[in-house]
Amino acid sequence: MTYRGYVTQLKLDDAEIQRRRAFFELTEEDLARLAALRPLAERYTDAVVEDFYKLLLGHADTRKFFTDDATLRRVKRAQRDYFLGLFVGRCDAAYVEDRLRVGAVHERIGMEPKWYLGAYRRYLELLFERISADIHDPKQARLSYESLQRLVFFDMSLAIDTYIAANLETIGRHQAAIRELSTPVIKVNEGILLLPLVGAVDSLRAQQIMESVLVRVIEEQAKVIILDIAGVPVVDTKVADNLVKTTAAVKLIGAQTILTGISAQVARTIVQLGVDVSTMHTMSSLAEGIELALSLVGKVISAKAG
Amino acid sequence: MRIESEDDVVLVRRKVRELAQARGFDSFACAAITTATSELTRNVWVHARRGEARIEELAEGDRIGIRARFTDEGPGIADLERVLAGGYSTSKSMGLGLSGSRRLVDEFSIDSVQGKGTVVTFVKWKRF
Amino acid sequence: MRGSIPILRIGPVLLATVHIDLRDAVAEAFQEDVLTSMERTKTAGIVIDISGLDTVDSYVARILADIGRTAGLMGKSAVIVGLRPEVAATLVRMGYAMEGMRTALNLDEGLRLLGYRVARV
Repeated sequence: MTYRGYVTQLKLDDAEIQRRRAFFELTEEDLARLAALRPLAERYTDAVVEDFYKLLLGHADTRKFFTDDATLRRVKRAQRDYFLGLFVGRCDAAYVEDRLRVGAVHERIGMEPKWYLGAYRRYLELLFERISADIHDPKQARLSYESLQRLVFFDMSLAIDTYIAANLETIGRHQAAIRELSTPVIKVNEGILLLPLVGAVDSLRAQQIMESVLVRVIEEQAKVIILDIAGVPVVDTKVADNLVKTTAAVKLIGAQTILTGISAQVARTIVQLGVDVSTMHTMSSLAEGIELALSLVGKVISAKAG
Repeated sequence: MRIESEDDVVLVRRKVRELAQARGFDSFACAAITTATSELTRNVWVHARRGEARIEELAEGDRIGIRARFTDEGPGIADLERVLAGGYSTSKSMGLGLSGSRRLVDEFSIDSVQGKGTVVTFVKWKRF
Repeated sequence: MRGSIPILRIGPVLLATVHIDLRDAVAEAFQEDVLTSMERTKTAGIVIDISGLDTVDSYVARILADIGRTAGLMGKSAVIVGLRPEVAATLVRMGYAMEGMRTALNLDEGLRLLGYRVARV
């Protein structure tokens, strides 16, 4: 997902940003304090970034993300910008978008939260050292460090949200794949296909069934497809409507559908839809459906002689 | 994109198809988007002779979509309710195209003032 | 415009293959061509292959259905083959049934509907 996608997905409008800042107790005062630290930050940027990557490169698990020099250079540059971004004195929509862009990059390279949480920890440690050393008034130093902590934690919350959002997208894609697999079309005989439907059929699955049916009928050049719905627990008007539409679509491509496994209840539901059922082939049992299918393609099951 | 000739109907259709394919919509979704676009663009051409099609990508939550807006300053649609219910069947009428398109997409809205013009907008989300 | 879509004569039947992006004018001209061909030649009918069409909107659907109905009135048949799955799904979802037009899975089936089949000599 692009970072812009995250901004919309996480609903990070101004209201949400304000709410989050309130919870992290990140005030304008904090931001002003951080802006005041900018000269200090600029002086130590290179050293902090080097130290930061020493940690990441020092562990096998994180080293693998930075395999070549070009990547490392690019990432260090990005890290510099990130680091200095902490001292800009702003935490608004533009700031958030910027942070999400960084998060999106890390998500794309596959870096998990545990690694960048560990990295953030190191960041805070490094900065604590610098702030303690450079700001002599202990109270000022503490306040500055607290402001920094608030912003860093705010940033971490964005990074984690991004990670979760990306995972949800992956889950969605996997669900699609699972749906694909759950409509297996079987070839019964030359020119005859069978699709036994098992389990609940929601409108999304129903759409998908029509599509699988059409694609397979054309792939196999089947003259007849049997749709057995005995295994579908609930056939409401929506599902019935989809079945009727599927039948119509199959007819449109020049093949025929036989609906089997139709109980009296389902038959009533279909009739109530008010569609023309006179041209539909329906059977209550699958066996009868197969016999009909065979006759439609000019074949018949006969007992072996002798 | 301007809609000012019969060729524009094909151009707009082609553009929307390219976008849908590039964004990874499956063939059924592409066909739905392209057909709805074709219907609505043709409506503008046939009834108003001039208009505009605006196609844009959307990103919201964990989904992406395509939004298309068709604007014209044509005669507007009288009896919008009946037209949307799919009542007409004369060859040059807007009716079938409108009600049909509506069934192909996820969100559909239409604003029409007689004598002033019409704006039809639809959104189709990518299904995972 | 007339003649943009070639109509072949294969023995007693006509065959036309429609390619993508049918502009309105081309579709209308094709309709004229088909009817003229059927009028002029002694033929049982025409098989129209639309496997090249990735979009069939209500306008094209109507033209095809009109061809079917007019052919019927002339005592001939028109059969459509090669409808893509996504095109069929879209037409059905829109609510069109393309009445007046016969369809077949492929050329073989289409010819069979016209009363012919391919055989070795």
